[in-house]
Amino acid sequence: MLCLRGLRRIKAAAFLQRNSAHRSLSSAEALQDEPLLKAEGPSKEPQRGCVLCSVTVDFKNIQLLSQFISPHTGRIYGRHITGLCGQKQREVSKAIKKAHSLGFMPVTHKHPQFMKDPRICGIKHVD
Amino acid sequence: MPRYELALILKAMQRPETAAALRRTVETLMERGAVVRDLENLGERLLPYKMTKHNQRHSRGTYFLVDFYAAPSILDGLLDHLHRDVDVVRPAVLKKDEQGPKSSCCANVAKLAS
Repeated sequence: MLCLRGLRRIKAAAFLQRNSAHRSLSSAEALQDEPLLKAEGPSKEPQRGCVLCSVTVDFKNIQLLSQFISPHTGRIYGRHITGLCGQKQREVSKAIKKAHSLGFMPVTHKHPQFMKDPRICGIKHVD
Repeated sequence: MPRYELALILKAMQRPETAAALRRTVETLMERGAVVRDLENLGERLLPYKMTKHNQRHSRGTYFLVDFYAAPSILDGLLDHLHRDVDVVRPAVLKKDEQGPKSSCCANVAKLAS
């Protein structure tokens, strides 16, 4: 019984020692890891934003919106064609539909005035 | 009071008649307790598609933009009044966003890159 108690005490003491040792090791590891974690690999490229990163999308700006629709049918291009990020694609889509309903932008075609605009979308037209 | 924007398409008319229609619209707004902040003329142009209103087929129209502050309770009555006006082809009231720079994912990415 006595030796059992003694054993328990020794075990408890050892456990405490191990714990403190563990703690000191982990804090040392943490100190060492901080600069390693912060430094990014040399091959990591900076993230590129989409084309409309710093541009506010408005339903009145139909020239900008017309760049994301088909010239033949007036259909809105998908994300895989426009290359826009989620938020901007949704904003453009909503603005185009708003412009359609308020009578600012044609629905079934692209305004002929904007046919010569630079092509942002990655789609090749058979002209 | 929240800020609204009235995107107004008026029938293609002579200058004095357009002025009279605009005056009528703004006076209606002010009667209902709105504070008109700005009035923009986006010009007379060919409409994107032919619109039928008040038994008339319109192919040309004058676009106006009226910025105003108003209580939300007047909007229903105002739109009803505008729909009944013979010179107005298509009225639309939209809420104007007050916030300036929005925090978007692309903006954050741009900041990190710079």
